[in-house]
Amino acid sequence: MLKKKIIHKLLKIVGEDNILTSEEDLTCYSYDAVNQKFCPEAVVFPGSAEEIAAVLKLANQEQFAVIPRGAGSGFTGGSLAILGGVVLVTSRLNRIIEINTENLTAVVEPGVVCGEFQKEAEKQGLYYPPDPASLAFSTLGGNVAECAGGPSALKYGVTRDYVTGLEVALPTGEIITTGVQTIKGVVGYDLTRLIIGSEGTLAVITKIYLRLLPKPLSSITLSAFFKDLEDSAHTVSSVIRNKIVPAKLEFMDRGSIECVNTYQNLGFPNETEALLLIELDGDPVAIENEAEKVKKICLEQGSFRVERATTTKEASNLWEVRRAISPSLLLLNLTKMNEDVVVPRSKIPQLIHRIEEIKKKFNLIIICFGHAGDGNIHVNAMYDEKTPGERDKTEKAIHEIFQEVITLGGTISGEHGIGITKAPFLTMELNDFEIGLMKKIKRVFDPNDILNPGKIFYG
Amino acid sequence: MGLPKGTTERLRKIAGEKGVLTSPVDLLTYSYDGTTNWEAKPEVVVFPTTTDQVSEIMKLATQDVIPVTVRGAGTNVSGGSIPVLGGIVLCTTRMNRIIAINAANFSATAEVGVVLHDLNQELVKHRLFFPPDPQSFLAATLGGCVSENAGGPYAVKYGVFKHYLLGMRTVLPSGTIIDLGGKTMKNVTGYDLPQLICGSEGTLAVITQVTLRLLPLPQAHQTVLAVFDNVVTAGETVQRIFASGIMPAKIELMDNWLIQRIEEVTPLGLPLTAEAILLFELDGMSEAVKKETEGVVDCCKKTGAIDVRPARDANEAENFWTARRAGFSAIFGNAPTVLAEDVTVPINRIPELIGRIRRCARTYNLTIVIIGHAGDGNLHPAILTNRKDPAHYARAEKALDDIFAAALDLGGVLSGEHGIGLEKKRFLKQALPAEAIELLKEIKKVFDPKGILNPGKIW
Repeated sequence: MLKKKIIHKLLKIVGEDNILTSEEDLTCYSYDAVNQKFCPEAVVFPGSAEEIAAVLKLANQEQFAVIPRGAGSGFTGGSLAILGGVVLVTSRLNRIIEINTENLTAVVEPGVVCGEFQKEAEKQGLYYPPDPASLAFSTLGGNVAECAGGPSALKYGVTRDYVTGLEVALPTGEIITTGVQTIKGVVGYDLTRLIIGSEGTLAVITKIYLRLLPKPLSSITLSAFFKDLEDSAHTVSSVIRNKIVPAKLEFMDRGSIECVNTYQNLGFPNETEALLLIELDGDPVAIENEAEKVKKICLEQGSFRVERATTTKEASNLWEVRRAISPSLLLLNLTKMNEDVVVPRSKIPQLIHRIEEIKKKFNLIIICFGHAGDGNIHVNAMYDEKTPGERDKTEKAIHEIFQEVITLGGTISGEHGIGITKAPFLTMELNDFEIGLMKKIKRVFDPNDILNPGKIFYG
Repeated sequence: MGLPKGTTERLRKIAGEKGVLTSPVDLLTYSYDGTTNWEAKPEVVVFPTTTDQVSEIMKLATQDVIPVTVRGAGTNVSGGSIPVLGGIVLCTTRMNRIIAINAANFSATAEVGVVLHDLNQELVKHRLFFPPDPQSFLAATLGGCVSENAGGPYAVKYGVFKHYLLGMRTVLPSGTIIDLGGKTMKNVTGYDLPQLICGSEGTLAVITQVTLRLLPLPQAHQTVLAVFDNVVTAGETVQRIFASGIMPAKIELMDNWLIQRIEEVTPLGLPLTAEAILLFELDGMSEAVKKETEGVVDCCKKTGAIDVRPARDANEAENFWTARRAGFSAIFGNAPTVLAEDVTVPINRIPELIGRIRRCARTYNLTIVIIGHAGDGNLHPAILTNRKDPAHYARAEKALDDIFAAALDLGGVLSGEHGIGLEKKRFLKQALPAEAIELLKEIKKVFDPKGILNPGKIW
């Protein structure tokens, strides 16, 4: 346990209303979206970059771990206090400091919720594309730390592509600004992009400089139903081959549709084995033409029904369904191993085919959905923890899927990060030299290893 | 310093007889780059043809602690490829194979010596598009572009090299070969080392191969030329266009000096008294381009352009862009030395920056030409001077200092796309806090403990 003296010092830094130490309170911060629990020794809610820096300085002096946390919606255990220590929650740093319509830029604090920021930007006629399925609650700080993506990554890229600069507190307690507040800049090494996606291990983000786009004029949402899973995968490849880049191109298999269906009757045709949700955006006339082309491709590739959302409400409902998949999997009452693999997009059909084989081989429930358009599929292996041997079997299956992904030239994580859940598999993708370089970089930033220790490299 | 005995022989063994240059005339050729004010001779120039050869060269250099400066076409404009400490220049121009163009994955893999223009020629055949377009594209190599994180007019809408970098093969100073990133559109496995190396100006690792993300070739293009009697009005026009939801592919600004040169070389009938022209390119789906063109014309007229000309056909569009290039060449034809800068400010500060640059020109009695990417705030003020006229050159250097100070003062950065190299070294301390520079140096040490790779640059 942290010494009383340290707790007292923390309290002095953040104020007594902004620290939690009771067992019940700590429990609330002992898990994230991963099914594992680690209790921190204290939780602090700093109100400024300076307070964060002070907490980090103290951590260096007293050698305790600091784990930054936004909304705790991470999928790989990045915000878990696996070695105890202090969880540092950014929720009080939740101001949108500026949305600048002349420069198409914004400045926000890390605790701002992604979806809320999107809405604010939209009010000004602007668009912030990154849209992780957790956008209703996940924070921009967390999104930056994990380099979150989402369906719109297909056309618009991921969080990294919209961050021009950061203000961060280094683990040693200095506050620095990296990158630029302009659209372009090459001044020294790109610390901004090094920190983005570093899963809270290199610095604590205290302010984010973002780039925005004008809001697309209009959009069309199509849903294409397939009786054959692999037909849907070929459709994805065909759309891309035809040089069409939709704003979003999402894939859902039968398992994911059924899960959502259990609490919300979707009225989808029974014979549906796979569904593609496609959004086109841009000029209203231009996307009409594109929609026609996409529809034709779907039908050619074996879709038995292509529907178009007739109202904005209908379209947003469809996207709600897509976002509901991940939480609704919990209704199966099983434990999920939630993976986030990416393959070159031309290899999607091969990956889907291989997963089907592995499913049969291990006799497992594996539910697949995700961003087929950019090759990023969320693979969820569901198992019953209470049945002996189930966990082992599931791990073996996941291992085989990862092997296939690597063989296809892919990566084991597209947007969730490595954290603790994927750390054991890191060496499948990165060799000792690469991991060695990364660990050395970690040491440059955090010589005493106090910031989010035990993550990424310690499988 | 001289090379250790036998170095040249050993290099010949690695790269072949024809792959090594040592005669004084040859060395002179590799003593300068696109900057007109720096010069330093290497002791030997080596042209490897494979990654393995690069690795052998680096092993040799590490063993004997010989500086290695990597060079592509030497078109960079911040002195990055000048061997200030002598040693070996490692020239990548013989590693010039396009390895794969994957239309189904929208990616291309190529060796670093491939000239950007050659890649583009190949891509057009597949109806694919690689947007970053530094104005040196006819000669610049991919390796140099990635090292400097080059951009160009297309950056407004499409971003810079960084946004298109998926993976790379690199050789560390120790000679170790590592592959970083991959072919997938997304990847968050471990720290983002490709992004760290991109823009590191050849100081962290030797890049030998890159995998780039591609886009489909836009269906339609339209160029619009607008003439203004006031620079401030031109600046306002850019903001108004963004506010109307239009994102042009390029917005280039040219000042009165350039208008006069254009009228001398490729007359377009521009009024010689006009203060500025804006050259727009709109691209995308035909219907959208048509509407956006109307929108741009409308915005220009509303803010008070004295003449607005949408190009009637591809021919006229080409004439407009040729005029821009001719104007740019005229800068270098009009003075023995040109200090071509690369400052970037938030878009709404462009008129102020131009005002300050002009004041500067008056104060020091200099000709400073302003050309630049108005859409992303990146201007290239070019100071016409003569290095051999000490008094004049001293004034030019003072003006340069003032311009950098103005850019920083307006919330901007020293370099938008050229890098720091030698040219802007002395200003780095103004742009970055000491702690950040310290971090950069420590990161450099992680990659290059002996400091042999492109020493003497950035700081």
